[in-house]
Amino acid sequence: MQYAAEQAWYMPMGPAAAASSMESAVARVDVSSCCMCHAVKRLFCGMGVHPTVHELDLDPRGRELERALARLVAGFGAFGSAAPVVPVVFIGGRLVGAMDRVMAAHINGSLVPLLKDAGALWL
Amino acid sequence: MVQGEESSWRMASAHDHERAAVHLNQAALPYHGGVQAHASAALPASFLDFQPAAAAAAYFGELEEALIHGAANAGGVGHHPGSMITSDMHSAKSAGYLAARPPTLEIFPSWPMRHQQQLHSGNSQQSVGSTTDSSSARNTMAQMELVSPGPASSIRPSPPSSSEQQPQQQRQEVMMVTTDDYSYKPAFAPPPATLAAAPSFQQQLQLPLHGGDHDKRKHGLARKDGKLVDSKTERRLAQNREAAKKSRLRKKAYVQNLETSRVRLQQMEQELQRARSQGTFLGGCSGSGDLSSGAAVFDMEYARWLDDDGKRLAELRGALQAHLVDGNLGLIVEECMRHYDELFGLKEELARSDVFHLLTGSWATPAERCFFWIGGFRPSDILKILIQQLDPLTEQQLMGIYGLKQSSEQAEEALAQGLQQLHQSLADTVAAGTLNEGAAVPNYMGLMAIALDKLASLEGFYQQADNLRKQTLHQMRRILTTRQAARCFLSIGEYYRRLRALSNLWASRPRENFIGTDSLSPTGTELQGLHHQPQQNQFSGF
Repeated sequence: MQYAAEQAWYMPMGPAAAASSMESAVARVDVSSCCMCHAVKRLFCGMGVHPTVHELDLDPRGRELERALARLVAGFGAFGSAAPVVPVVFIGGRLVGAMDRVMAAHINGSLVPLLKDAGALWL
Repeated sequence: MVQGEESSWRMASAHDHERAAVHLNQAALPYHGGVQAHASAALPASFLDFQPAAAAAAYFGELEEALIHGAANAGGVGHHPGSMITSDMHSAKSAGYLAARPPTLEIFPSWPMRHQQQLHSGNSQQSVGSTTDSSSARNTMAQMELVSPGPASSIRPSPPSSSEQQPQQQRQEVMMVTTDDYSYKPAFAPPPATLAAAPSFQQQLQLPLHGGDHDKRKHGLARKDGKLVDSKTERRLAQNREAAKKSRLRKKAYVQNLETSRVRLQQMEQELQRARSQGTFLGGCSGSGDLSSGAAVFDMEYARWLDDDGKRLAELRGALQAHLVDGNLGLIVEECMRHYDELFGLKEELARSDVFHLLTGSWATPAERCFFWIGGFRPSDILKILIQQLDPLTEQQLMGIYGLKQSSEQAEEALAQGLQQLHQSLADTVAAGTLNEGAAVPNYMGLMAIALDKLASLEGFYQQADNLRKQTLHQMRRILTTRQAARCFLSIGEYYRRLRALSNLWASRPRENFIGTDSLSPTGTELQGLHHQPQQNQFSGF
């Protein structure tokens, strides 16, 4: 699919984050008070996927993570500069992107195969 | 009324000039010794002194006295108390009056220019006058005080005058004039023409207060007694005049303001008329004055987009009926896709500045607004409609379409849940603390700041919703063949055209056919209920 071709291999910022995203099939970075993160959570729950959650505001290295994420996500053409960075989704160690990318992937029909490949979803 | 007063006052003063002249001629007074040597008409102020009954005239004279003595008597200390008091009052009044209306002296029409110049340029001249009054030793003292720029004395005469002239110029004039006066002093009788009138005139005015002669002093005293009472009224009159002038100016400013805003309103109404007649507001915009600039631009662009949409629909219909080759049809379909993308682009641009205009849907017609979901159409609704319209679908296409429908529903649900949490959180933030105290809650501003942040995240939700709509349309285009996509775009276009036509019909429906035309609102809501139910029934089957 179109979207799959755009996937890029990115090693996340810090080794700890890399390790965690490599370990879990699906990882989600969010801020606890963010409502868009809640929307992503509901989306995954609706599909039966339970991603590992990294909460930036509870992480001591939250700020640098946020900045690194912003740089990563900006490369994917996120909406404007006012949009918050989170939520950011990693599937199978690979960056999917911010909310708009996740939605586009889902509508494309590319999200479900990704999840299946990563082993987060069984049918 | 005030103006009438003033003009009558002016006229009264003019009359007073004549009367005063007559009076003066009758009165055998030492005043006019020097006066009659000169043009009598040139000295109305002194004449006006003689008319205490005419309050305005008396005021006029007092003004002159004040102007003259306010400067002079400042230096001259230790006059008999009455004059001190009056001079103080005069100086105070003159100071105040001069501060309020500096160019007063220039408006005296009947005075020859030289007098005006002298009077204007000289409170220095007044000091001249005081210096030339040789009858009073105090005046020489005053003169000497004025000559030597002693701080105390020169300060007092300068305030009334420096309010209107440069102090340096005045000092220079003082210097110059005083030296002149010294030359004049011995030759007191034949003063030169230019300065003669001034000193003698001032002399006369001063004489009452300085009191060279006995009966002058007596007269002055009597006048002073009368004037003591009058000075209060005169001060009141002065204040009244100032107030009247201020209110007149204010009224003029207000009227001008009204005029300009009336003109502007007319211009705006004309523009609105022109815009309406050109059809740029195709019934979608309510035309309220509340639009931000971005929203107004968006409304105009949207109207143009609607025009384009109509043309595209006609093109599609023609192409389908003509059974064009797929290639050509494909081009048309691509153009349609670009057309929708253009609208999404417009919306995205406006969402950065004014998301609420998009969310409230004031750019859309009422019927369209019924089906609004986060500022636009709900993708699954459109898919439901399209599935009905696109009957001959292959297996794969059906799978694709149903899959698309399901994923869009899931995405919609996720966004709706997120939005619901945002609503809840925003409501909690705004209602934090006790609402009973109003804005007096201690952390009110902090509360507002948090609420602002939450409100700002609404923009994110709108962007995601629009993104969902756009992705759905693109995916649908990918699933379908060219011909099917053409029919699909045609269906969507026609559906919305019908909704807009419905809104127009609704707006122009007759309201007199219902019972109780007096109270329109209950019947209006009834009618709305009637209309909405059939619509709901029509589409609930999807």
